[in-house]
Amino acid sequence: MLKSWKFWAVVAVIGGLTAMFASGFGHDPKLVPSPLVHRPAPGFKVTELNTGAPLSLESLKGTPFVLNFFASWCVACRDEARLLESAYLRWGQDPSKLRVIGIAIQDTPEAARAFAKRYGKTYYLALDDAAGDVSLNYGLYGVPETFFVDAKGIIRYKQIGAVTPEVLEEQIPKLIASREQP
Amino acid sequence: MTPMSHQRRLRRLVLAVAALLLLAVLAGPAWGLSDREIDLRVQGITEMLRCPTCQGISVRDSEASFSQQIRAKVRRMVEEGQSDDDIKAYFVSRYGEWILRAPPAQGLGLVVWLAPLGALVLAGGLIGWRLYRSHQNPTERLHQEDKGSLTPDQRERIARDLQRFEEED
Repeated sequence: MLKSWKFWAVVAVIGGLTAMFASGFGHDPKLVPSPLVHRPAPGFKVTELNTGAPLSLESLKGTPFVLNFFASWCVACRDEARLLESAYLRWGQDPSKLRVIGIAIQDTPEAARAFAKRYGKTYYLALDDAAGDVSLNYGLYGVPETFFVDAKGIIRYKQIGAVTPEVLEEQIPKLIASREQP
Repeated sequence: MTPMSHQRRLRRLVLAVAALLLLAVLAGPAWGLSDREIDLRVQGITEMLRCPTCQGISVRDSEASFSQQIRAKVRRMVEEGQSDDDIKAYFVSRYGEWILRAPPAQGLGLVVWLAPLGALVLAGGLIGWRLYRSHQNPTERLHQEDKGSLTPDQRERIARDLQRFEEED
């Protein structure tokens, strides 16, 4: 029986299908690699939630930044809110060294402000427009998502889901170091 | 009318026609599209795009916030006169090939497109082969199958017996 080609054909088909399903079940369908990583960050123009101060990609030229998309209705955004604030207090006090930016999506200014107040966010916060232009330009699947952009304006890393202390510790020093690289 | 004023009027007419032509070019393919035609194009394009926050649903069929924003963006792009390919390319540049519900007919995607055809040809070939074998003369089949395992004497005896059975029938 072991010599029969039919036996080995059946083994090959079953083996192939098992490998395919095992590989499929082992992947989170949401973790799709972004084509934007290692490419220039898409442009954006926003205004600060409280002060109305404008901010655009052009105005950040030469400054690395962490761009976090969040929403007041998002549970995972609560988990990372204080982490991002800590990162801002630790690395983002000098705006020429690093900027930490939060953009609320599919939200209202009032809800976004209340969320920021509740979780003690003091870094630059803005609201995406109703059309969601910034979210779509950054290829968002949901919130939270965070982009780490170096001094040359290249997206170096994208975090899907809440950021972790490990991710911040690993990515932010690299962004800051990119200022000195030719 | 003096020849000078005639020339001036002619120049104005040429300029007006040129301005109209320029406007038509700038307006692009959306120029003259009715609301119904725009709706149909938006529906066609959004049917090809995958809802980012759902499982296996097109942007057209989904009521998720992201899908609504994508539909609105596609509509704006159609109204601006962008082609279907331009619009698809924009979303692929942001979300990757993942956003397309059907894989592109090139590279690895081509394998996915050709696999069902390959399976069909293979299945057809197998069925054809089995039918051909079932219609073959039993003596001839026996010769082919047992060529390696039977001695010439044994094959001759079996053929003789088969011949006898057929004659008895």
